[in-house]
Amino acid sequence: MVVSILGSQIIGIIPLGDIVFYMTSFNLFMFAAALVFTFIIAISKTETQIEAEFGSLGDREIKVAKKEFKFRRFLAIICGLATAGAMVTGDLFDFTLFVCLIGIVNIGIVGAVKQVDVLDSAFQYGLIAMIASTPLFVGASLILAATGTISILAINSLTYTTPMMLFGSILLFLGVAGETGVAPFFATKAEMFRTPGSPFLLIIHLSSLLIIVRVIEILLIINKPF
Amino acid sequence: MILVPDVVSPVVVAIYAPAVFVGIIVALIGLFGISIEKNDLQVLILTDIVGVAMLIIVAAVGTDLAESLVLPGLVVELAEILAICEILMSREMRKTGKSVSLIPTPLNFDMEVLQTSPVFIAVILVIYGAFLSGFTGGAIAGGGILFYVMSLTVRGLPSDLWEGIAGASGIAWCLWLTGFLVLFVFPNYWLLGLMLAAFGVFIKVAFKAGLIGVMNREEFRKE
Amino acid sequence: MKSIGRFWNSLANPDRIPRFYALVLGIVLIAGFLIPIGLNDHQLYPRPEPQLQINAQDPLAPYDRGGVTFEQRGIVKAQYPQYLPAIGEITAYLSPIAMGVDHTTLYYGTSIYSSPGGLIDEILYYTRGFDTVLESSILMMAFVIASFIALNFTMRRED
Repeated sequence: MVVSILGSQIIGIIPLGDIVFYMTSFNLFMFAAALVFTFIIAISKTETQIEAEFGSLGDREIKVAKKEFKFRRFLAIICGLATAGAMVTGDLFDFTLFVCLIGIVNIGIVGAVKQVDVLDSAFQYGLIAMIASTPLFVGASLILAATGTISILAINSLTYTTPMMLFGSILLFLGVAGETGVAPFFATKAEMFRTPGSPFLLIIHLSSLLIIVRVIEILLIINKPF
Repeated sequence: MILVPDVVSPVVVAIYAPAVFVGIIVALIGLFGISIEKNDLQVLILTDIVGVAMLIIVAAVGTDLAESLVLPGLVVELAEILAICEILMSREMRKTGKSVSLIPTPLNFDMEVLQTSPVFIAVILVIYGAFLSGFTGGAIAGGGILFYVMSLTVRGLPSDLWEGIAGASGIAWCLWLTGFLVLFVFPNYWLLGLMLAAFGVFIKVAFKAGLIGVMNREEFRKE
Repeated sequence: MKSIGRFWNSLANPDRIPRFYALVLGIVLIAGFLIPIGLNDHQLYPRPEPQLQINAQDPLAPYDRGGVTFEQRGIVKAQYPQYLPAIGEITAYLSPIAMGVDHTTLYYGTSIYSSPGGLIDEILYYTRGFDTVLESSILMMAFVIASFIALNFTMRRED
């Protein structure tokens, strides 16, 4: 059994059958951070945007209706939990599923708005998320084909790296980049932030940040460049 | 006969590389289409081709694991297309200001069977679905509910009904989760866990299909 | 330098992003033709050669993994057998109805006539059950989003 991964000690594991969650101090910190932010977001209220009206002195308030507020809060909590899960999962395929869950929930958080521009970027983001699920799953399956396993702990103890694993890793990274919308694919997400309902939108940012950090850790484990 | 061999059979290993190449070619066709297509709806349909490429490459591994990975892949594609379609429709309606029908072609269900024996057929389907149980059973029972809802002649179902059905579906999801946890917390009661999961998925799938029926129902009477 | 700047500016338009992403992905996928692709034959959960069980007239073909309900466990080659105290039990389980069908027809395994959970799910339900939990969560979220938008926007279009 492996006791250290990328130089840090494994504190504990939660086995759910073949899908094993493992915790190092690094993962555990990110896991706790995701949960704390989810909690803060769950108890907070949405902002109210004030728009100046054109041609008059009046202001217009844009409020989020109660029903919409509840719906968004629910999706934001799910997004936070999925992020927390992706931080500690020790199974490559499980990780891709968590990322897909985050992707679809992100679409939902901004999907229920009335602005046409925002809806348009939500649609474009959804398209990228759909295309991105292909490199995500293909990357994981190529790594499975090359190594015979998708458990990160088992891959960690392998001694070889093949070009196929590298190719799979690049696809995996591309998939995560598309699903979370990082640069240079961020234009759709930037547009999405124009909608009211601020604290719930922040979880989209936080989740993509944490997921990118985590996927880099996973790629280092798979390819062992050092 | 060896039920489960130690290594993957040479037949599968031999066709792995060709299968992956086919998958890549399919993906390239889809991606090429996306990069030149201007119509948003067409792009949405083309992304499905890219999804098919994913299924080909995952299935090429040819183990039980690959088979169990194909299913989530398929579900993810379906789920995303479902959500994005709604967003596209919502956007188009706001943009044009016209009211667009949920189903583009006018469906005129003027069939005799919808008036004479809807309850009978629905009940038969639901009972047969319960008898099958599991995922397929859920789909069949859901078909029964869908059929019944479709055949109702009263205008419009209240959205409370929808919320009720959706709530039941959520409870079924919890049942599934409980069943799953039982498997690991009390491994000796695995049969209980299996049954909870099986009937959880049965209720869930049935109500999902039923929900589609409710959703369509709202539109059918509008004509 | 100017053209690079123009290129980055063009990326600020959300409409172009899916096309750009498709292009990048296409270029990366072409690399797949250049690297050696091969299947490692030591895989988890291997399955018998295609058509082998069907030719042997096995009613559960191609999903027969051995075992007798409540008596003998099925064969599952999992990654961590030490964490799986009840491994193989669910794989071997057939409901009474399923057993009846199994005795009457040779094609039980290929029909959709399934025992609880379905045959395919059952082989790996115990070992990789969390996948199904996540998968159904994804589907549920999609339904929640689609039905929320449909109920509040597409159907009540007056307001």
